[in-house]
Formats: sequence, C-alpha cells, structure tokens
Amino acid sequence: MKLALNIPGGRRKAAADGIGERRVNTSAGDGISDLIGRVSLGDRAAFSALYDRTSAKLFGVSLRILRERSQAQDALQETYVKVWRNASLFSGMGQSPMSWLIAIARNQAIDMLRARGRPAADLDEAATVEDAAPDPEQAALAGDEARRLALCLGELPAERAGALRAAYMEGYSYEELASRYKVPLNTMRTWLRRGLIGLRECLERGGVR
Amino acid sequence: MTGEVPLNTPGRDELAAEYALGVLSGAEREHAEKLALTDREFALAVARWQQTLSPLADEIAGTPPPAAVKQALERRLSGFPDAREARWYDSLLLWRAVALAASVAALMLGFALVSRDTGPGPLIAAINTEAGAAQYVAHVGPGGRTLTLARLDDKVAPAAGRDHELWLVEGGNAPVSLGVIGRSAKSRLTVPAGLAAKIAAGAILAISDEPLGGSPTGKATGPVIALGPVRDL
Repeated sequence: MKLALNIPGGRRKAAADGIGERRVNTSAGDGISDLIGRVSLGDRAAFSALYDRTSAKLFGVSLRILRERSQAQDALQETYVKVWRNASLFSGMGQSPMSWLIAIARNQAIDMLRARGRPAADLDEAATVEDAAPDPEQAALAGDEARRLALCLGELPAERAGALRAAYMEGYSYEELASRYKVPLNTMRTWLRRGLIGLRECLERGGVR
Repeated sequence: MTGEVPLNTPGRDELAAEYALGVLSGAEREHAEKLALTDREFALAVARWQQTLSPLADEIAGTPPPAAVKQALERRLSGFPDAREARWYDSLLLWRAVALAASVAALMLGFALVSRDTGPGPLIAAINTEAGAAQYVAHVGPGGRTLTLARLDDKVAPAAGRDHELWLVEGGNAPVSLGVIGRSAKSRLTVPAGLAAKIAAGAILAISDEPLGGSPTGKATGPVIALGPVRDL
C-alpha cells in the first residue's frame, strides 16, 4: 500500500502536466481563491476569468449527475449565478476553492435531478461504471488527496465503497442506492453512515494502518 | 480545513455528511439545506465533508460547456453593478439610479445633502439587488460614524424570523458587520470608531439575509441580497 505513495519525480511531473488537460485537482486552488474574492466585490472581469478556468470541470460534474446536456447546461448557469451571489461567503468556510465550487455544482444538479426524477433505465444501466475503483494508472495520476481518499475507500467493504462513490459521482439518493444494491433502505443508510465515518477516521490517521 | 467542528447534537455530523454526499432527498434534504443556511456550525461541518469527499471529483473529466452558457450568464448578470470596470461608472443608468436614490433619500430622510462639517463624508450608496434597482439607500454622515439606511421597496423587507444585516467589504478583506438593520423602512446605525475610516468611496456595502438578531458568527451566513459601492456625495 505504502509503495503507491511513492511516485518517482519524473512521473509526478507527468502527473502534474496531465492536470490541465483532463483534471482540475481539487486541492489546487492557486489563483482561484483570489478570483472568488474579487467576484465577491462584484468584479465582472474576475467572474469571467473564474468561469473560464473552472467551468469545464463543473460542467463535467453536472453532466455526470444529470446525463443530459441541455439540463447540465441549465444547471451550470444556475451554479455560476449562485457563485456570483454567494462569493462573499466562500472565505469563511475554510474550504479549497474547487471543493466549494464543485459542491455548489453538485447541489444544483442534484436538486434538478430530484425535481425531475431519474429515468428508471438510468438506474440499471449505470450500475457498472461508477462503482469501479480507479485503476492503478488513474490512482497514480491523481493528486495526494485523491490518492489518500482512494486508499481509505479501499479499506471499506467493497459494496459500501462502491455505493459511496456512486452517490458522489452520480448523485444517487438513499432510495435509489437501496434499490440498486437490493438492500433495505435502513441498511443502505447504515452502510453509508459507517462508510463515511470510517473514511474520515482513516483519513485522519493518514490513510495508513 | 483546520480545526474541529464541535457539534453538540448527536447525529448532526452524520447529517452534514449525508447532505454533503448528496444522498438525502425530499424533506430530509430540505431540512439539511435550511440548517446549512441558518446554522453556522452545521454549515462548517458540511463544508468539511465537502472538502473530504471532493478528491472523488478528480476522476470526473472536465467537459468544456458550449459558449451559449457563458453568454446567457453574462446577459443575466448584466443588471448587477460592476465594482471594477470604469465603464460602469459612466453608465447613464447608474447615474440615474444614484440621482434617484439620492433624491428619494433626501425626501424620505430629510437629509441636508450638503455637507456642513469638514472631515470624511458625507457618502452615499445605492444598494442594488441582482435586478439592478436600488432597494436600499445608505447615507453616511460627516465623520463616518452615523449611517442611515432607507429601504425603498418593502418587497425586500426581511421575512418573519429573519433579519437583514449590513456588511462592509473593503480592500479585499472579509466582510465586516456594520450591524443588523431595523425592521422599519428607515434605520440608523452607529458605525464603530475603528470602521468609520474604512467606509470610503470604493468600499462596498452589502446586505445579507440572516437569522433573527443577525449572524451568530460575525460572518455572513445567509445569501447576499443586495450590494452597492460607496460614493462621495
């Protein structure tokens, strides 16, 4: 397990270079905090720059939950209206800027998903992809935080880790998860509550047993 | 994320975790959402869980949205004042709003709008909602210690069980509370001595929706409902 944390320098560089293309590492907030601060002062140019730097990530997140392009576009628009209105609240939350932005995008998409209901076909068809843990290559490319989280998810029973990942990535509700995993609702609650607490305990001791 | 969030009620951190993960629905989700807006400790617990879980989003590939989204956003936000672009200060609409606001303020509050004293001020701010119409007018008396607010539209009055709080945003610092605004259409606040000098042209006054009695934490917890820059009168 510990070996996975040691990535040779060259590899790490390659990993960092990959960020611009596909990923915005959630812990990398250089400059984005400043932009949010300026947006809180009503700075439209800063808002435009913030949008340019972060909208692809947030669109990806919305699209993953809503699966429908035009709805994800609506969700994205509402997300940035909230960013504009609530930017002044960011600094008090002690959160990384990408985590704050992603949370707004996820909440918006989940609200829309709950309001419209998820087509039953989505529930079955989605089952395979999102449960899979990242392959070693993906894990190696991820940032330190993501690697620690993946290690700690790996300590949970596989089904619970899968349900937790599915909830985060696809926006599943307790009810949907219970039906997908064919367990009673209360069992699913227990799975995820214990899973979340186990996850935090693992992260707090540094991810290594 | 630093520091522990003490949550006295058992199960509240679990609720925060479930809300952050997004698995709640219906009344439970609404309840958690309300708590996150009104209860600072709960909001911080939610933020901490969002931070904990956010590396999962690293696995989601970015997808550039179509340009139409940004264009629609810019249209929607165009009624909101821009604190930075000089062009905004040239806007005829703005000057009309400020002129109207100033005259309304003069009428409603009976101000002598001409400074009698020396020293800083008087200053004025038209505090706009997103739609761009002035909903509050603030007047800061000479010396900066007396701030009078007039609400121009009762539609923006605080809901039952809520209060509006006035904030000063200045020099990129976190907003500082100037106090809870009275429920009547006109209210007067005494500015703390240390803040008087900071209320100057270019600073921003913002109004947020807060629990009764104002934010329990000294930081805005509710949505900002209106804001506007302070100007020399």
